Amino acid sequence: MKELFPKQHVMGFGFSLLLTVVALAVVKFDMSFNMAFGILLVTALAQATVQLVLFMHIGESEDKKTLYTTILYSVFVGVVTILGTLFAMIWGYN
Amino acid sequence: MSMEEVFHPMQEPMILAAAISIVVGAVVIVAGLTYFKKWGYFYKNWLSTVDHKKIGIMYIAVALLMLFRGGIDALLMRAQTAVPDNGLLDAQHYNEIFTTHGLLMILFMAMPFVIGLMNVVIPLQIGARDVAFPRLNAVSFWLFAAGCGLLNLSFIIGGSPDAGWTAYFPLAGTEFSPTVGNNYYSLALQLSGIGTLMTGVNFIATIIKMRAPGMTLMKMPMFTWSILITNIIIVFAFPVLTVALALMMLDRQFGTQFFAMQNGGMDMLWANLFWVWGHPEVYIVILPAFGIFSEIIATFARKNLYGYKSMVMSMVVISLLSFLVWAHHFYTMGHGVMVNSVFSITTMAIAVPTGVKIFNWLLTMRHGKIQFTTPMLYALGFIPIFTIGGVTGVMLAMASADYQYHNTMFLVAHFHYVLIPGTVFGVLAGYHYWWPKMFGFRLNEKLGKAGFWFIAVCFNVTFFPLFILGLDGYARRMYTYSESTGYGPLNMLSFIGGIGLAVGFALIVYNIYYSWKHMPRNEKADVWDGRTLEWATHSPVPEYNFAVVPTVTRLDEYWFAKKEGRDITAGKIEKIHMPNNTGTPFWMSGFFFLAAFFAVFNLWIPAIISMIGVFGFMIHRSFEKDHGRYISVEEVMATEKSLRGDK
Amino acid sequence: MKIDSSLPLEYSTEENRLKIFGFWVFLGAEIVLFATLFTVYFTLQTRTGSGPNGAEIFELTPVLWETFLLLTSSFTIGLGVHAMRIGNKKAMMAFFIITLLLGLGFLGIEIDEFITYVDEGATIQTSAFLSALMTLLGTHGAHVTFGFFWGVAILIQVAGRGLNPQTANKAFIFSLYWHFLDVVWIFIFSFVYLKGLIS
Repeated sequence: MKELFPKQHVMGFGFSLLLTVVALAVVKFDMSFNMAFGILLVTALAQATVQLVLFMHIGESEDKKTLYTTILYSVFVGVVTILGTLFAMIWGYN
Repeated sequence: MSMEEVFHPMQEPMILAAAISIVVGAVVIVAGLTYFKKWGYFYKNWLSTVDHKKIGIMYIAVALLMLFRGGIDALLMRAQTAVPDNGLLDAQHYNEIFTTHGLLMILFMAMPFVIGLMNVVIPLQIGARDVAFPRLNAVSFWLFAAGCGLLNLSFIIGGSPDAGWTAYFPLAGTEFSPTVGNNYYSLALQLSGIGTLMTGVNFIATIIKMRAPGMTLMKMPMFTWSILITNIIIVFAFPVLTVALALMMLDRQFGTQFFAMQNGGMDMLWANLFWVWGHPEVYIVILPAFGIFSEIIATFARKNLYGYKSMVMSMVVISLLSFLVWAHHFYTMGHGVMVNSVFSITTMAIAVPTGVKIFNWLLTMRHGKIQFTTPMLYALGFIPIFTIGGVTGVMLAMASADYQYHNTMFLVAHFHYVLIPGTVFGVLAGYHYWWPKMFGFRLNEKLGKAGFWFIAVCFNVTFFPLFILGLDGYARRMYTYSESTGYGPLNMLSFIGGIGLAVGFALIVYNIYYSWKHMPRNEKADVWDGRTLEWATHSPVPEYNFAVVPTVTRLDEYWFAKKEGRDITAGKIEKIHMPNNTGTPFWMSGFFFLAAFFAVFNLWIPAIISMIGVFGFMIHRSFEKDHGRYISVEEVMATEKSLRGDK
Repeated sequence: MKIDSSLPLEYSTEENRLKIFGFWVFLGAEIVLFATLFTVYFTLQTRTGSGPNGAEIFELTPVLWETFLLLTSSFTIGLGVHAMRIGNKKAMMAFFIITLLLGLGFLGIEIDEFITYVDEGATIQTSAFLSALMTLLGTHGAHVTFGFFWGVAILIQVAGRGLNPQTANKAFIFSLYWHFLDVVWIFIFSFVYLKGLIS
């Protein structure tokens, strides 16, 4: 039975539950919006990394460099789309 | 919607004539296939093929057809505006044809032409036997064809989209565009867009994972590089279009408020999303042309490409910058100085890597022994004309000056000066260059050159006057103007140029017929004395591409091997694994087409039934056991012998 | 077909490696797809028209349940792939079935959430904010639904054909898809619900 639950996965699961609880702090405690947003950003990115590295094994194949590049490129385009749109349509709008 | 409304467009004599000609054409094809008993051949060899070369040829055939469909739109526009107060077309018809002209030329002519060429050439150029996912490739093509068919159908049934190819809200919303035209827009583009996205995934995997042994990234031919970068842009830009089109459909057909004028909607958000995809799209159609010109200039200048590394770097930089400039399409929307300044700077920055490429091409030709073949003429014509397009682009990039040029004919002239010498010259150059590889005979050079000169000269006659008209304040998309504006003479000149362009394109098509009749067959494999691997295998190319996969040690391996008298395709022949043909992609896309067609008219029950058909084919595919087949050594030897023996 | 037995089954043939690679590239496209939906949501989130805003309609308890179910399902499918790699078909199938059931539980809660919204008069047509919210959630939910049927199809094949390079490859690719949906949910949980509740 034990061999069905590798340590890496169990730890990853524990870690992701922990991160969820930490993120919950923003609604349970009184804090500034910037602080709360910072916590959410850090926990969400950490969660994504846990999934990508521990569960999806992005680093295990022969193409790991290309895969990291692909994911980083898509994140670049995604972030540019989000921030650029907010910049053009809201923050920088007269 | 009543039947009368559905067939409303047919009341226009010109559309009725077009509709009749489509029906007659379809009947002739069906009757012909039946009479000559070619249905089996047609289905087995084309409709169900997974061979990248045949899929490429089908893409190019559709692209040429759409070039004519879009070209007729263009001629009608020029004819309508040739004289003041012209009554040839009414405003509605004019709106429809400038919309479909843009859509067809960008999405159903430039894109498939580029994708067709990459299908034919890329696996050959990297020494592969097929693409990474041959069946997915067929799905891509048939989804594209379904989208293309749907958009063309709009012309006859229900009315074409009429809010411009950019379909800005609120004009494209149901309030101002109550016909089904823009439903066609969202659904037809969605189908072909999904097909294109799959092509992107397929070719990235092909180029990254299937190169011939020894061909590292920095030993890849420049065309392969340009296609790799193009597909990276496709994969990361097309999802934005997918979302934008889905939101458009939701707004128009499900009453959501994304781009609405009330309830918090934001009409310009559509323009924003459209151009987040739309600007990278410009580079999707232009970068492959850069790759084609690089191959052709190196081949016919008989020199290696100057500045290989800087060429690669400039394309990588262009691919990143292409995602950072989109807001320059709507400087006049009313956002602040900061936004316009930032996007002005990123836009002007793109001119730098593009300039690097122009200089590299010029330096490649320096001291070269230039052969003036048809493809080379297109490459030579491209450089000066494209530079005019580029320089006017920098003018438009300056936000404050753009307030003067915005939505005038100056803009129209600019993007035609970029897209025609860039994309159209590029794909035509590639088409003449690789034609012998596809079919085993050449296109007639005299006709090819005559076509080039007609196009190059008449292009300038058509579009240069538009710069002047634009600076004089002639707004785009006006169906007519009064005589007192003084726009008449230059518009007439432009119309005359348009006729010349039509003659040029007609010559290109006549050349297919002429060369098919008269040009010698069994052309040798390496017709142009080329540099890259596609010239190492027979023309036309056997199904398995290479009997023995060549090994590569440096850039232009084939060229150096020829000099040294080595045969890089020599070696021990082994049995070759190939995928089986399958009709699934064709039928699945057929159901997709039906689903989209019913959805256009809000007929949800038949649409859902058709989607169940789509999912049925997916499940069938998942459970299917098909491991492909082997071509035996004897069979390969026999094919090789007959192909060699003929030479 | 050459089978490289030094690698796990799902990587063992050239075709399998190509498919895994291609799927990663496709996931890159999916990242951009969801980023665009987030773009739309962030742009429109304050534009509530005459409808309610996020703080007025979001409820933490069901959202926490959804998060817990999806996080756990991502864990169990990871265990399923691990079981597959050590050749334990039974355990692999059990973990996959648990995963899909957790996915169904998630969908149940999400459907209930949508019904509640509509009952409160917050429909997809009410305001730009709600259009954006429901399209984002709906696209994620549609992915989970598609994943459920996909998973069932793979389980049937594993049950009938056993673990071989083809079925293992499909199961592995499916697991990538499922993990990815969990990642997307984390961002929805953080930047739609939690952020909506505090602002």
